[in-house]
Amino acid sequence: MHTASLGRRALLLAASFAFLAYVLAPIAWLVSSSFQSESEITSKPPHWVPHHPTIENFAAIFTAKDRVVTYATRKDGDPATGGFIPSTAKYLLPSMRNSFIVAFAVVVLNLLVSIPAAYAMAKIRFIGRSTSIYFMLATRVIPDIALVVPFFLVIRKLGLLDNLLSLVITYLAITVPFSVFVLLSYFESLPDELDKAARVDGCSRLQTLIRVFLPLAVPSLVAVVLFTFLTSWNEFLLALMFTQTPVSQTMPVIVASFTSDFTISFSFINAAGVLAIIPPVILAIMFERYIVSGLTAGAVKG
Amino acid sequence: MARIKFESVSKRYPNGFTALDDLNLDIQDKEFLVLLGPSGCGKSTTLNMIAGLEDISDGNLFFDGTVVNAVPPHQRDVAMVFQSYALYPHKSVYENIAFGLRMRKHPKDEIDQRVRDAAKRLEIEHLLERRPTQLSGGQRQRVALGRAMVRQPAVFLMDEPLSNLDAALRISTRAEIKQLHQVMQTTFVYVTHDQSEALTLADRIVVMRDGVVQQIGTPDAIYEQPHNMFVASFLGNPPINYLDGQLAVDNGAVTFRRGALSLLIPPESAGKLAAFAGREVTIGIRAEDVSEHGTPPAGQALGGRITSVLPVGSDNFLEIDVEGKQLFFRVGKEAHHKDGDNTVLTVNVNRLHVFDKQDGQSLIWQKVQA
Repeated sequence: MHTASLGRRALLLAASFAFLAYVLAPIAWLVSSSFQSESEITSKPPHWVPHHPTIENFAAIFTAKDRVVTYATRKDGDPATGGFIPSTAKYLLPSMRNSFIVAFAVVVLNLLVSIPAAYAMAKIRFIGRSTSIYFMLATRVIPDIALVVPFFLVIRKLGLLDNLLSLVITYLAITVPFSVFVLLSYFESLPDELDKAARVDGCSRLQTLIRVFLPLAVPSLVAVVLFTFLTSWNEFLLALMFTQTPVSQTMPVIVASFTSDFTISFSFINAAGVLAIIPPVILAIMFERYIVSGLTAGAVKG
Repeated sequence: MARIKFESVSKRYPNGFTALDDLNLDIQDKEFLVLLGPSGCGKSTTLNMIAGLEDISDGNLFFDGTVVNAVPPHQRDVAMVFQSYALYPHKSVYENIAFGLRMRKHPKDEIDQRVRDAAKRLEIEHLLERRPTQLSGGQRQRVALGRAMVRQPAVFLMDEPLSNLDAALRISTRAEIKQLHQVMQTTFVYVTHDQSEALTLADRIVVMRDGVVQQIGTPDAIYEQPHNMFVASFLGNPPINYLDGQLAVDNGAVTFRRGALSLLIPPESAGKLAAFAGREVTIGIRAEDVSEHGTPPAGQALGGRITSVLPVGSDNFLEIDVEGKQLFFRVGKEAHHKDGDNTVLTVNVNRLHVFDKQDGQSLIWQKVQA
């Protein structure tokens, strides 16, 4: 009996490590190779720990704005030292700023819309309430790519092509239904009597929402913020369609452009990749203790 | 200070369900009014309307002569205690009690004073820093009472506040609520499905069923002069006994007959019943309205075979087969009854209830508009 459970534990442990390795290996390679020179990355066999660690890939990103790379000058930097950079490299930092502006705006506007919407759908019995919930959820089953053309037409009509607003608007359309759904299921799990008690105690509907429901919904709010931020930060397809110049291009679009340059620099791309995952990782670490409880809050109860 | 008046108030839902039908009710200032009825009878709807938590489909609701149909809850001077207590889980006990006062912008030191006074009165001073999850059911109940008390509202609403407590605590808290009413000198409206709570607490009881008021009156009036069979059977433990039979009128004397059983209706009621000669009726006899002392006078004897004896400590309950119907009576313990014995009890005919068998309305206590 005892040995059986011991064996079982060993097996679970081994399986856990296998899974962990599977999930973390690409990230480890990304980080490791961002500190390697191009020749080291492409050497055989590849090594996990850089033999000659270099920060030149990162230095190249931050100094890229001073350099003009053309077809003629493309070989000025020596690939073997990591000094070789793509022609769009100087747009990387501005594109990260664009990504951040878009993600931040989407998070804020998303909360402003989805919190009152979820509260109303959870606690106010109005005509058309369940219809609107189903309708909203139905939008989640449509794949984004099916919406690209209609979105494009609308954005063009609005004159917002190559403008960050186009991304804010379309990302909201994608993220708000999900946010409302998460918050709705949480608010529904809170008893109606709590709502009534607050209102009898002197709260208007809005005060009830802000002073009683929101403090209780922090885990769900964190889940919503994370989801919204990550969706906006990582989104590629719509950004590729609606943005055409570095004025509005976001980080995924610029990073993708590195792979279609005169020559491909793996070391530079990997360093850019590391920069790209830093904001989400910081966010995840900040809210780590809320994440699991938030995503399961509405699902388990009720 | 508040007098609450319902004028032909109805509540209909979009799906056609009528939760409340043409309610007319005048609640006096400082009255303790209990809304009593089975679940789904409209009593909570009525309470929520007073709080402003439920829209009124039809009719008018007045507070001191002013129509308040459209006044939102936070602008009404009401406080409410809920069955689930509905304490704010993220606030301490102190903050829970203070919340209503903070929302109404009372000065800080006054809030503190009132919270501590209420806590002292409810004996929860030592719990003020705790969170609701760290409290027992009884303690939560007290916090909920405190939260309503500190507001010193014009109307105090309670929605089955004792239902989640265990039996012993329920009795003692009942007494405290009664005291609270006397101290606070304000209008109380209390919803319950527990008839004994209603009888103990109320100045007046409103018995409701399917959204319709059945009877409004003092606890004594409701218990002793029920207007219909529903009211008669909803109050009283064990429930009232019903026996079908016929009314016979002979020379002005009215008797109830079923087989060999014949009960003489006393003259006060007989006058009202004389017109119903030959009518199929149902009489109601409460379990305590019999005695087993001496030989019963003519027209008051109720004979039958004892089918079971159920001692309950203070008394015995007897189940007796009377003319083919099982009846339930409460008698003293002195006579040592045994299953299968035949016995004859004396019925207190002054307390007989006579109902129309068809519609269940009392033939003695005619419905009077309250």
